[in-house]
Amino acid sequence: MDTPDRTPAPRSRWEALQPWLTLACRVGLAAVLIFAAVSKFPPALSIQAVEAYDLFPTDIARFIGYTLPLFELALAVLLLAGLATRYVGAVSALLMIAFIAGIVSAMARGLSIDCGCFGGGGQVDPEETTYGLSIARDILFAALGGFVAIWPRSPLALDRALGLFR
Amino acid sequence: MGSEARRRSREKLREQREKEKRSAQRRKTLLVVGAAVVVVLLVVGIGYAILTADRRSGEYEGALAPTTLQQDGSVVMAREGVEAPVVEVYVDYQCPACRQFELLNSGVLKENAAQGEAIVHYRPVSIFAQQPVPVSSNSLRAGAAARAAADHDRFVQYTDILFQNQPTERTVGFTVDELKEWFAETDPTEGQQEEFNQRVDEEAAVVTRFTEEYLPALTEDAMAQVGQETLGTMVLTDLIAWGDEHGHDSSFLEGTYTGQIIEATGNAYTRYSGDNAFRGTPSVYINGELLDNNTAMTSQGLDEAIHSAEPGEVDTQPMGDGGGAE
Repeated sequence: MDTPDRTPAPRSRWEALQPWLTLACRVGLAAVLIFAAVSKFPPALSIQAVEAYDLFPTDIARFIGYTLPLFELALAVLLLAGLATRYVGAVSALLMIAFIAGIVSAMARGLSIDCGCFGGGGQVDPEETTYGLSIARDILFAALGGFVAIWPRSPLALDRALGLFR
Repeated sequence: MGSEARRRSREKLREQREKEKRSAQRRKTLLVVGAAVVVVLLVVGIGYAILTADRRSGEYEGALAPTTLQQDGSVVMAREGVEAPVVEVYVDYQCPACRQFELLNSGVLKENAAQGEAIVHYRPVSIFAQQPVPVSSNSLRAGAAARAAADHDRFVQYTDILFQNQPTERTVGFTVDELKEWFAETDPTEGQQEEFNQRVDEEAAVVTRFTEEYLPALTEDAMAQVGQETLGTMVLTDLIAWGDEHGHDSSFLEGTYTGQIIEATGNAYTRYSGDNAFRGTPSVYINGELLDNNTAMTSQGLDEAIHSAEPGEVDTQPMGDGGGAE
């Protein structure tokens, strides 16, 4: 550490470990987001997955169908680059929470749809819904984002080169 | 100057430095966050431009190639005597992905047919016929109505209208009144409208009987006698054939368009094998070869697949009485 005003106390194990855990979270979450984005292609199917939630007017569903995978991709790029790490982590976590809200609302309204999280989407047989699994997955992903947001310091990050979260 | 004053000025200087450091840090953070926002906007913006460029400049508005009703109730759209690849299109009018396909690619199909680049073979099915009402009844009523529209050479226009008005899956839609009104939008003669109305009324009654009486009773019996497992492997036409041998008379379907679309669906399941097997809708085949989603569900993909295919043969016969043909 080259910050002169920090007392060079003996580094605790947590302090040594945390940056690497954050790096692991960044890479893991980025991988999830990339897979999610790519599997939503082509947009016509992703639009259909959004429409199945029956939450948005047609034009907005169409817009989300096109842009959501791109947004996921952009977050993944930022996580891998380690740019604005804290904020990207927080936004990713919020995105996951929004997904959870969408799934819970579909569940509450008695819809039987595939979440469309990783491609697919649309109506499925009532016994084929996997809301519990989808929500649990999203909670895990939100936790990864949360970890990054709380402890943004990590190696191999642009932030570091720019003097943030050293 | 006392030591007190010196201490104060030192203190002040330190505070000043702290403040500068904090504001420098803030600027840095803002800069980094700004850069991140720019990255997001670039990725989303450029991506959106690329993806939407795939949607060609709107719908195809030109004249349609002539359509010919086939004996099995399907419809072929092609310029007369043209040699071109055969594009088979299987859709269920209640299927949301089919609606997306139609919104995205019906223009590509029409344009290629009009230019003699493709023979488009529309093969409507009802994969939802065994779903609970209203999914099943919506699907069947729409399918039968499209077939009735084909009697008056209005299948393609009517299909467009149906998909534009597809009900969400849990609501009753494609009602008899709506179906008639939409047909009126295609500028029929009075006689055609009357004939269409009568047909739609008859079919709606058949659909109600099928979805609300016949099929539930048949399914219950089959469940008890052959078991759920075997039942799960039977397509609807197999189940109906089983029913005919076990006291569930299906003759009320004979000669109806509802019966025809159910049969067409059963045939779709047996028409192809292996990788090309028909599994659901929308399914698009070029010369009998199933297209993957990336090809069928993008305009560019479909267009390129059509242009790189060899001419093919339609595997159905035109309706003998010339019904629906120009």
